[in-house]
Amino acid sequence: MRKGESLVAHMDWPLFASYIVMLIIGMATVYSVAYNEEHPNIYEYSEKYGKQLVWLGISLFLGLIVFLIDSDIYRKFSLPIYVFTLFLLVIVLFTPKINGARAWLGIGTMGVQPAEFAKIGTALLLARFISTVNVKQQNIQTVLIANAIILMPMVLILLQPDAGTFVVFTSFLFVMYREGITYDPLILKLINRIPGIRFKETWVGGHFIPILFVVIILSVITLLMSNEVLEFSFLPNVKVPGFYSVVATLFLISLIFLIFLRVVSARRERGRATLVVILGFSMAAALSSVVNYGFQGLRSHQKDRIELFLGMKEDPNGKDYNRNRAMAAVGSGGFLGKGYREASVSSVRSNHVPESETDFIFCPFAEEWGFAGTFILVALYMFMLVRIIIIAERQRAVFNRVYAYTVAMILFYHFAINIGMNIGFAPVIGIPLPFFSYGGSSMMSFSVMMFILLKLDSQRRDVLQ
Amino acid sequence: MNLDARRYVILTFILMVGIIYASRLFYMQVVDDQWVLRAQEIAEKRWEISPPRGVLFDRTGKKIVSNRTYYNLMMVEADIVDLDTAKFAKLIGWTREEVRNRFKEIVRGEGTYYNKNTHKRTPNYQKIRAYPFMKELTLEEVARIAPHLDNFKGFHEEITSMRSYPYANGANIVGYLSEVSQEEIDEDRFYKPGNNIGKAGLERFYEKELRGRKGIRYIVTSAMNNAIESYADGKYDTSALQGPPLKLGVDILLQAYGEKLLKGKRGCIVAIEPLTGEILALVSSPSYDPNLMIGKRNISMYYPKLLLDPSTPLLPRPLASEYPPGSTFKLLNSLIALQEGVITPEFGAPCNKSVVGCHNHASAGNLEDAIKHSCNPYYYAVMRRIVQQNRKKNVFADAEVGLNRWVDYMKSFGLGRKLETDITGLRPGLIPDVAFYDKWYGHHRWAFSTIRSISIGQGEVMITPLQMANIAAIIANKGWYYTPHFVKSIGSKGPLPEYLKKRYAKIDTKHYDVIIEGMRRVVYEPGGTGRRALLKDIVICGKTGTVQNPHGEDHSTFLAFAPMDKPKIAIAVFIENAKGGGGLWAAPTASLMIEKYLKRKITEKDREKTIIDAVFSYMR
Repeated sequence: MRKGESLVAHMDWPLFASYIVMLIIGMATVYSVAYNEEHPNIYEYSEKYGKQLVWLGISLFLGLIVFLIDSDIYRKFSLPIYVFTLFLLVIVLFTPKINGARAWLGIGTMGVQPAEFAKIGTALLLARFISTVNVKQQNIQTVLIANAIILMPMVLILLQPDAGTFVVFTSFLFVMYREGITYDPLILKLINRIPGIRFKETWVGGHFIPILFVVIILSVITLLMSNEVLEFSFLPNVKVPGFYSVVATLFLISLIFLIFLRVVSARRERGRATLVVILGFSMAAALSSVVNYGFQGLRSHQKDRIELFLGMKEDPNGKDYNRNRAMAAVGSGGFLGKGYREASVSSVRSNHVPESETDFIFCPFAEEWGFAGTFILVALYMFMLVRIIIIAERQRAVFNRVYAYTVAMILFYHFAINIGMNIGFAPVIGIPLPFFSYGGSSMMSFSVMMFILLKLDSQRRDVLQ
Repeated sequence: MNLDARRYVILTFILMVGIIYASRLFYMQVVDDQWVLRAQEIAEKRWEISPPRGVLFDRTGKKIVSNRTYYNLMMVEADIVDLDTAKFAKLIGWTREEVRNRFKEIVRGEGTYYNKNTHKRTPNYQKIRAYPFMKELTLEEVARIAPHLDNFKGFHEEITSMRSYPYANGANIVGYLSEVSQEEIDEDRFYKPGNNIGKAGLERFYEKELRGRKGIRYIVTSAMNNAIESYADGKYDTSALQGPPLKLGVDILLQAYGEKLLKGKRGCIVAIEPLTGEILALVSSPSYDPNLMIGKRNISMYYPKLLLDPSTPLLPRPLASEYPPGSTFKLLNSLIALQEGVITPEFGAPCNKSVVGCHNHASAGNLEDAIKHSCNPYYYAVMRRIVQQNRKKNVFADAEVGLNRWVDYMKSFGLGRKLETDITGLRPGLIPDVAFYDKWYGHHRWAFSTIRSISIGQGEVMITPLQMANIAAIIANKGWYYTPHFVKSIGSKGPLPEYLKKRYAKIDTKHYDVIIEGMRRVVYEPGGTGRRALLKDIVICGKTGTVQNPHGEDHSTFLAFAPMDKPKIAIAVFIENAKGGGGLWAAPTASLMIEKYLKRKITEKDREKTIIDAVFSYMR
């Protein structure tokens, strides 16, 4: 920090503003969903909104502290921080189970989830590690170390068990992909053993991570939609099998890309880009149909197993029960919603949607504000994520960039999985919606994560590359 | 390796998910409405508040059908804590076995869901829902049980409303209520399983009026099924509205008296006020106590018994039994002959017993005496003149013309078709027409001599006692009638509009005087067949009938109205298989009813005793 400049001089205001807007909307939603007539005051500590307000205050206070500390400390102390969070993850395994998992470390009612903070520790150490290696000369050792940094907390989290956070840790793979640390060296080592082959790189190995995730996401969505039939109130007698709607959506997206490409790409690249989009669409459609018809062709007990895993089965006490009710709450919102504090399905009092103040908080929000609200929310998240990636790409320091990408990807994962399970696109695994869900640990960890990013960004000019 | 380009892969990836999610949200929230219905199913409940049914009053303002409060003992399994079955069974007066079985029964019965589309019953038992453990307890029963319910958590009492009949008469008029069937629920969304609906009589005919308007409260419920709050602050709620009271033309004391007279006999009495068409009494014997048919518990106990009873107490005979009218029919044939101009009041005919049997009396020299003696050969002659008017050369074609005209007159008396009386269970009776006889005998294969028994109300002619009483009313009015009906006012409104429409028989008024004089002679002149109907200070005009029938002894019937100058009551009495003719049983019964209605007391005590005490052999 240069002398005479205020603390927030170089802060990225758009990102900070979107963060604050989300906090406000989130707080309002928690207040609405947990509203108790006996204690209407939002400061009432005995109610969840009172507690959430305290967590919010603590989070902002932590953010202030983060902002006061010189950003270099995160780079320097990344290993101790990582080790400390791992230590907490080990300790938590010796606590009694709460709701079937050893995830809570706490004093009295104020508990924290170490897994939430392990994300920060891992992000910092991964950034530190990647900033020290020369990616141009990446080798198997680099890949293995990077993977080990991620895997250690993942294993400990799986022991709790906490499937949701476990899945979130795979978001680091995207960061590694961005930095060129891929599984290509491993693949090359295998392939180059074949006599006569001497590749320097493979396209599949290089883009392995996004390809893998596109395949997984497309498969899951295809499976979830395979039993659905879409109907339109304004088009009676038209019934579209879910699979066709997946292909149609893919087609539409490809079309948008083609138009987009014609506008922005240079003339000489246009042909190649068009080919890539068409090829991509064909492959995605092919994959989707293979998954769909393969699934239909499965024997019933195999089908059952997949359906149970994805929460598609009619099981009145199982996960589909929650998913179905959550979808009913979201879908009944209509265009403008039922109005603030008018959520009839997903309020805590009605309790039709369990965990509606934590993992399913998107439900009451969608029910109250309708598509108008959810569209703005999705747009707000998109804005935040794009902004973070813009910030990431303007960093001089690799450490900063890697860290920014981890924040973007972690937020993206939470967004995609949490909202996905409210709209029938993701299996029900409990992870919070950032800045919305009730709970101190996620509120604090996301805020600290965000403030570290803002701090790193505000000091980006101090870094000499 | 161009790593910088990879930012676009990641950006694309993120934006794609965003676009897909926004589209999905648009589809779910704006396009697809299944989730709205699903949400309503989950969280919104309509609470229906059933109002008490409308009550029924008789013409003098006595309440004859009212509502009474009953109680159900409700059970919520989730709230039951350590039920002491033995103690509980003792409290409600059951055995332990019965208590245990009842729990299982609820799960299998009330605890199932019937899907009307697939016609499948699926288990739907919920421990948090209240189910009736014991139904329809009286105040006395619940007063014994309720104070101890504190010791048995999970049980509570609930109020329901049911019918009560203070007079225990007129069961065939008022009908009864019973639980709605699945078909009725499918037909009318007003009903929910467990609701009651009128199954017979006025309860059924005036169901839409009597049931009133249900109150509806829209509430938001929680997962535990308890109400949280009114939906939209009660903006869409409606309050329950009791059905309007119905005032009947029935005189309940006359009705009760008629039922008393017919004890021990099969038969019916129908009394109508000629001026208005209001039914004063409609007695069907044997009948039943309507209080036996209140509530599921009673109905399941008594209904099968009543249904299988060989004396058919559930049958509303005055509406649904079709009898040959017998000699009372001669009145109509006289009127038709006069109107057709084929006879004059001075027409005479010998009592020629070689044509048809008759009792011993002097030959009638005019129409009045023919009615007085109820002379069968005379009416053969009259009927021949109606049917064979020599309008066609062919005797068969001529009979066709004559019968057609005759049928036309008969229809104008409300015969051969259902009267539009405000009750269910009506039968049309039968007036044979050309088509009927053509089918029976063949085209041009019949003439008067083939069908002559209709001249004395035998043979193919069928008539219900209600139609017969209506004929008495038409004669009393000298040619017109209002369709007989029970309800004279619905709430503050009058009767249904069809009962304010005057209907005419196709006979000129002038022809009635002769007939009425004849009917007076039946009762008041020596040799009249209805002498036992005689009252000293009221002039009764009547006509007896002795109906031959294949089921045993002749039916005894009497048709009358009184007083002669200003008729206030028209009556038809039918007593099945009575030994002796219409004069012996039906005539005195009619006179007692008339006296009871007009004077409110009985002077002819001996006559009353004879009738009441008579118990016919088939009833023993």
